[in-house]
Amino acid sequence: MSRIARILVRRLAGIVPVAVIVVGGTFLLLEAAPGDAVDAYLASTGGDRALVEELRRAWGLDAGPLARLWLYISALAHLDLGWSVAFSRPVIEVIGQRIANTLLLMGCSVALAVFVGSLLGVVAGSRPGSAADRALSLGSLALYAVPGFWLGLVLIVVFSVELRWLPGGGFETIASGLTGLARAGDIGRHLALPVAALGSIYLALYLRLMRAGMVEAWRQDFVRAALARGLPRRQIVWKHVARNALLPVITMVGLQAATLLGGSVVVESVFAIPGLGRLAHEAVVQRDTPLLLGVILTGAGLVILANLAVDLLYGWIDPRVGAGAETMA
Amino acid sequence: MSAAAGDFRLRDGRIGAVLLTGFAFAALLAPFLSPGDPLSIVGTPLVRPFTDAAVPLGTDRLGRDVLALILHGSRTTLAVALAAAFCALAVGAAVGAAAGLAGGWIDEGLMRLTEAFQTVPGFLLALAIVSVAGPSIASIVAAIAAGAWPGPARLVRAEVLSIRERDFVMAARAIGMHPFEIAWREVLPLALPPAVALVSVIVAGAILTEAALAFLGLGNPNVASWGALIAEGRAVLRTAPFLSIVPGTALVVAVLGVHLAGEGIAARLSAPVHR
Amino acid sequence: MATRNPRRFDSFAVSRRQTLAGSAALLAASAWPSRAQAPRRGGRFVVAADSEPRNLNPAIVASNGVFHVASKIVEPLAEAAYGTKDGLAPRLATSWEGAADGLSATFRLRAGVTWHDGKPFSSADVAFSALEVWRKLQNFGRVVFKDLSAVDTPDSATAVFRFAKPTPFQLIRNALPSLTAVVPRHLYEGTDIGANPYNAKPVGTGPFAFAEARPGEYTRLVRNRTYRDAGQPFVDEIIYRVLPDRAAATGALEAGEVHLAAFSQVPLDDLARVGKVPGLQVVTKGYEALTYQLVVEINHRRKELADLRVRRAIAHAIDRDFVVRTVFLGYAQVSDGPVPKNDPQFHAAGLAMPGFDPARANALLDEAGYRRDGRGVRMRLRLLPAPFFGETKAFGAYLRQALGAVGIEAEIVGNDTPGHIKAVYSDHAFDLAVGPPVYRGDPAISTTVLAQGGLPAGVPFTNQGGYRDEAMDALIARAASTLDEATRTELYREFQRKVVADLPFINVAEWGFTSVASRKAHNLDTNPRWPVSNWADVWLEA
Repeated sequence: MSRIARILVRRLAGIVPVAVIVVGGTFLLLEAAPGDAVDAYLASTGGDRALVEELRRAWGLDAGPLARLWLYISALAHLDLGWSVAFSRPVIEVIGQRIANTLLLMGCSVALAVFVGSLLGVVAGSRPGSAADRALSLGSLALYAVPGFWLGLVLIVVFSVELRWLPGGGFETIASGLTGLARAGDIGRHLALPVAALGSIYLALYLRLMRAGMVEAWRQDFVRAALARGLPRRQIVWKHVARNALLPVITMVGLQAATLLGGSVVVESVFAIPGLGRLAHEAVVQRDTPLLLGVILTGAGLVILANLAVDLLYGWIDPRVGAGAETMA
Repeated sequence: MSAAAGDFRLRDGRIGAVLLTGFAFAALLAPFLSPGDPLSIVGTPLVRPFTDAAVPLGTDRLGRDVLALILHGSRTTLAVALAAAFCALAVGAAVGAAAGLAGGWIDEGLMRLTEAFQTVPGFLLALAIVSVAGPSIASIVAAIAAGAWPGPARLVRAEVLSIRERDFVMAARAIGMHPFEIAWREVLPLALPPAVALVSVIVAGAILTEAALAFLGLGNPNVASWGALIAEGRAVLRTAPFLSIVPGTALVVAVLGVHLAGEGIAARLSAPVHR
Repeated sequence: MATRNPRRFDSFAVSRRQTLAGSAALLAASAWPSRAQAPRRGGRFVVAADSEPRNLNPAIVASNGVFHVASKIVEPLAEAAYGTKDGLAPRLATSWEGAADGLSATFRLRAGVTWHDGKPFSSADVAFSALEVWRKLQNFGRVVFKDLSAVDTPDSATAVFRFAKPTPFQLIRNALPSLTAVVPRHLYEGTDIGANPYNAKPVGTGPFAFAEARPGEYTRLVRNRTYRDAGQPFVDEIIYRVLPDRAAATGALEAGEVHLAAFSQVPLDDLARVGKVPGLQVVTKGYEALTYQLVVEINHRRKELADLRVRRAIAHAIDRDFVVRTVFLGYAQVSDGPVPKNDPQFHAAGLAMPGFDPARANALLDEAGYRRDGRGVRMRLRLLPAPFFGETKAFGAYLRQALGAVGIEAEIVGNDTPGHIKAVYSDHAFDLAVGPPVYRGDPAISTTVLAQGGLPAGVPFTNQGGYRDEAMDALIARAASTLDEATRTELYREFQRKVVADLPFINVAEWGFTSVASRKAHNLDTNPRWPVSNWADVWLEA
């Protein structure tokens, strides 16, 4: 069996028990919640006793919790995520409408954080202890201490309300009729601020990782050897040191996938982006159990996929092999 | 080079320690510095900071003293963060040690559980728990800890796995020490310190999570809290920006202090190795 | 606006009043020339929406959240209006008349109206809506139309409602704007009405037709080209953009991305500043028939609270003027009883609501035997402010302090919406609650349910505090079945006096909402239910 196939099988086999724990736990959690979907619904409408009972019956809430859990799990076995009472639609359809937005937001944020963060990390780590290193390290730490929602609000006030450069919310211009590149540009303009808010916070993480990795790499024999051979410093930084430090960065992307999804809850709410994070919040508020379960399962699935991708990437660029070959040459 | 970097980290660590000490003082002395209920209405609403000596940092939209709210809020914030970190560490250590020492299907089961918690975004979990249990200090602590324990658990398990094969543990086993005693006396004292290094990360994360929960309206309404202040200030962000800037600054400085102090401790721990 | 600030001011409030007056003058100055402009046709009217109702059928769900969107598509028999007879203007009905015996009501319907799908509208649609939807399914229609036995349709333009028991026509009339949305029989008959797909994409006779909905993003309506009123509606499209975050709504208005945020989506604290932003206006008119009441609900199962002296003490502890001034920043009125002052039809003058008097409150509590302990506390209560509005939560924070001043230690229990509904209205797990009931233009369909005894548990916004008084129940029952308008009105005034004397719950304030809108948008306040009316006359400057 090839290495990649082994990784795949190990990961996929791990999903089933994890999914069962997640479903059971979430279900119990919402079961313990005061009030159900009908209570949430009645808050905006009111209604008499008979109506309340009719609604509970119609939404299948009159059955016991165990019966409903069993129904849910047996439907899940057929890949049926159930029916969202808050949206009067199948859960899969509701999630389908939102998942792309969240993936785009998260993808761009990760890209921003990893790319800019690593780049700055290389700058900082190429001369550890220098003024640039100090400024970058402290600055990134300060940024890491800023709450995401706060950063988002400040960005809206500055770039959307005061300067009017960028839209302050939404995923794209409503019913714009744009297609192709024009639409992509429109979405890009809308996503600029939320991506900046979500991405800059995690930027610090990658900066520090990259820097730490580089500080470590400077001490490695093959780097010392390269220095001794009198190779240009710039070349050593990029070819040996930075490349070696990339590995923990990739690991971190996988580890941070779940955190990032959590962070998108608040950012999506601040920027009014219809994504998974906001959907989860709505599902909790509406006590829409199947929907929340669907979102959490989807989120867990995304995290597992991200880790799988990291595993595969890891196997693909095993840097020790590359670096070793370099030093031998 | 690394020694120089280490020195900087130590100095940063001292800055962090100073900041943290300041907050600890604010938290401890709040009842003396500003006696009475910080949530009581003392003046006209939305007084700007530095305009009235009676309320140096101004008042919020109901006319409550922002300085009193900040001082008392530091108690809430630090209490929540420390309690959450303690719970996360205790649960994580227990799970990690149990998994590492027991091995077999217990290890397998506990690690699947840990993985399940790690695949669910921690903030989503916290949101769900606090919505369900209602926003009280206890539920907020539990919610934050629920997302934070898998990290220490994995770390402790890895340490335990490496320690338990060492000679002195083997020896203890050979002389017939009870497994619990081995765990408690021989393994945990060595397996814990690396996990304790995570405390600063957990505390910083807990402060931010508490604030984010309060921002979404899930703070405890009976106590002053920085997060709740920011949430309230956000509604008047344009009219009275100071109302979010003041607690926001306190929050950023506190988190920064925790991070810096953590760096310093890490540098101190690792320094002898490098020299 | 300034006139809504009803009382004396401290120095701070004076400056605020001046700014308000200033912006009002500004508003008036700029409103003059625009009044003279001729309405322009065309344009896309973008409206902020903080929620997305899943069911857009106003015949089933009579709530402001649904009306905000659906009232443009599906029309009622009549709409509220300023200065007309009965305060009504015709919509699908052109005239209405109740029989003296209360057993029938006759509606003359508009001729030549078509549904958005091109089918003709007739009295059969009204009969179907009344009998199958309002009477059976609608949250409040089930009360008002409970005795409706048949609807005769002698011709396509006449509907005669027949009641099994005498039903006051005053009540029917007051219910016309909110409870009589007419849905097309041909799309609903023979289906499971509650699950009918047209509930999510309604078909009506209104000035706008449903176009599309993207959950989490927007709902789009387009102009009904065959609307009876030639020239109206003026705008081509209405877009409800989903902006659940209040700060986001304000930002979108200031950035010019939306034209209107109704229902106080812009926080009150921001109004003074937003009113001065060039291009934006604050509108407080147009909400007169959408009054919300700030009420302290009381759990009479607690023996302390079953004592009238304690309830009076709580009422004496509340500084209503302070609440209006601080919590509502003047955008509210002090309340003196269970019917808002802005309903002259029913409001009773001279009600003796206990005023702010902490000394009297302390004396009453002493008299009732609840003395202060060593820490100055007489009793500990759980206080549950409803989480629906910032104002209910802020009032909760105030009430906690006000009660503390008279020795009652209140602990605030924070719940989210379903948690609150369940705790207060199903589990009765509260001592005091802060609720925002809606006044619906007639006490029979709003405020009396807060005082009536013996209502089943689990029904939100009704008396779940365990208060039960035979005289009160008899009064409510008699008023509900009295046909003569003058007598009926007098009975409801008696009801108000009794509520103020008995304090089954305590009214604190009553408020309408505010809109913030672009100055390019016009006719944003043309009737007392404006945000939930049909917007046919709204127009946008180029």
